[in-house]
Amino acid sequence: MEVLLQSLLNGILLGGLYAVIGLGMSLIFGIMGLINLAHGDLIIISTYMSMVVALQFSGNLIIALLISVLAMIVIGFLCQSILINRVVDKGAEPPLLITFGLSVILQNVLQRIFGADAKSIPTSLAAQNVITTPWFSISAIYLIDFVVSILVILSLHFIIMKTYFGRAIRATSGDVVASELVGLNTKRVYAVTMALAMVTASIAGLLVGMTFTYYPTTGTQYLIIAFGVVVIGGMGSLVGTLLGGIILGLAQMLGSYFFGMAYQLFFGYVVLLAILTFRPQGLFAKTK
Amino acid sequence: MALGGRAALASRIILAALVVLLITLPLWATQSMVNIFLLIMLYMAVGQMWNLLAGYAGLVSLGQQSFIGLGGYSLAVLTEVYHLHFLLAILVGGVVSGVFALVISPPIFKMKGIYFAIGTWIIAEALALYFLNWSFVRYGLGFNIRTAYDMTTNDLYYLSLVIGLGSVVLVYLIMRTRGGLALMAMRDDEVAAEVMGIALYKTKLMIFLVSALVTGVAGGVLYLNISFIQPTAAFSLDWTVAAVVIVIIGGIGTMEGPIVGAVIYVILQQYLFNFPGFSMIILGVIAISIILVAPRGIMGTLQEKFGWEVLSPRRNMRKMKALVSTDCA
Repeated sequence: MEVLLQSLLNGILLGGLYAVIGLGMSLIFGIMGLINLAHGDLIIISTYMSMVVALQFSGNLIIALLISVLAMIVIGFLCQSILINRVVDKGAEPPLLITFGLSVILQNVLQRIFGADAKSIPTSLAAQNVITTPWFSISAIYLIDFVVSILVILSLHFIIMKTYFGRAIRATSGDVVASELVGLNTKRVYAVTMALAMVTASIAGLLVGMTFTYYPTTGTQYLIIAFGVVVIGGMGSLVGTLLGGIILGLAQMLGSYFFGMAYQLFFGYVVLLAILTFRPQGLFAKTK
Repeated sequence: MALGGRAALASRIILAALVVLLITLPLWATQSMVNIFLLIMLYMAVGQMWNLLAGYAGLVSLGQQSFIGLGGYSLAVLTEVYHLHFLLAILVGGVVSGVFALVISPPIFKMKGIYFAIGTWIIAEALALYFLNWSFVRYGLGFNIRTAYDMTTNDLYYLSLVIGLGSVVLVYLIMRTRGGLALMAMRDDEVAAEVMGIALYKTKLMIFLVSALVTGVAGGVLYLNISFIQPTAAFSLDWTVAAVVIVIIGGIGTMEGPIVGAVIYVILQQYLFNFPGFSMIILGVIAISIILVAPRGIMGTLQEKFGWEVLSPRRNMRKMKALVSTDCA
């Protein structure tokens, strides 16, 4: 019974992390209409970056985060202007294949630079528990992941609802032609969206690095998680993304509880495939 | 525009000469060259099948590795555990892949476009995880495919030649039938195709099954060559990456495309063997550049600019030309 409760709790907490992972993809998918297959790899790149910077600055994670955020914004901007803006209006296949190619390149570059061994970002929080009761315990790192993700989602909500650029983003995602008619530079809006997505990706990257070990190829796993979050939660809904993350986290933890640790990822995939088949617009999709 | 008259005859003669050269390859080439061509043939088959799905049927699959893995594992299990002949094992591998494709088709065809692509990918990942935890296939330990130890490179080469050339012939035949026309109609506009009476679901299913079967067979021979199989590599995305890169660079939606792409792919891999990963980076960069600059790939662009088509899916060029010229008057 305690194990079940623990699984449920971990599922929810992990769900927060998954939500942040999926946020970037949800933004890009919702506003630009394309799935960035390199999203997982971009997250992992920021993880590696944070690791390198943290090692340089003797474990100071704040600096690592700042530098990684800045670097990711630059990378995102480059990807956007060189690659994605050229194909964003050419249909579904070119962006898919370009981001696929990008993913391949990123994974292999990481492998050349860092090798194929598992790495992790050292942090003293990883092994500690914040709350320990006879029935369940909450590990510090999971809690931090969850709290940070809530903060990120709230900030993003604020940005999109209350700022000028937020309105520009909402307008562009609603109707590109109309937005251009009222004078919005939609390609610039896309660039800002990409920048926002990259910021969430670098935050996600740091959290992932602190919570789990990673390889250059871990990107694929997080891509599928991000995709799962977007699909389950539905597009265009930040709350949906959070709930999507939680549902995915729960599915994984419960799968692990009922079928064994080895099936954790597997069960997540099965749930994702089921939702793709029966309700691809997501559980919480906004009707447009 | 394809070649007419003498140019067509010339290209046919060149084609025949190429085939003869390929058949006699082991007689005049070095063993390492034979090995290279072996790989070219097999990758060409995988590429042709991906092209069939994505270039002609409009189904972008990122999950071809499912079938490669299934084909490879059928070979491994049937020869190692049940001691069947490897040819039988390879054929069964194709059938297993086809059956698997059939089983996943109802849910997977409900997914459209990018969802389909990622869905196929997720299925492959799930398959890999399942095999890692399955005692029947020895979990992650994998199999040494010992039947391969008795085989020479030439044996494997002839096997791969059959599969490679066979895949080209298969695609050619499919495209020349009504099914091929249906495919191209579907690719260009699904709604219009359905209005014209094309059974979308059945056509897509047939093509999916065919491509799964051939990819499975190719996977079996690929693993006969590698002679060791384990789940992570067998179901690795790298197989699909190879297929995608081969077809994009060679020319998506053309029959010669995968041939050219496979040659480039294998040669780059061999050249940069000492720098693992570099070949993939270069291939990725080339592929992205091609999509941005010449989205029809090498053969596609040649086709567009010079009307140069060696293997044409169209049936009678004179008739077509006559039609076109009267329309554009």
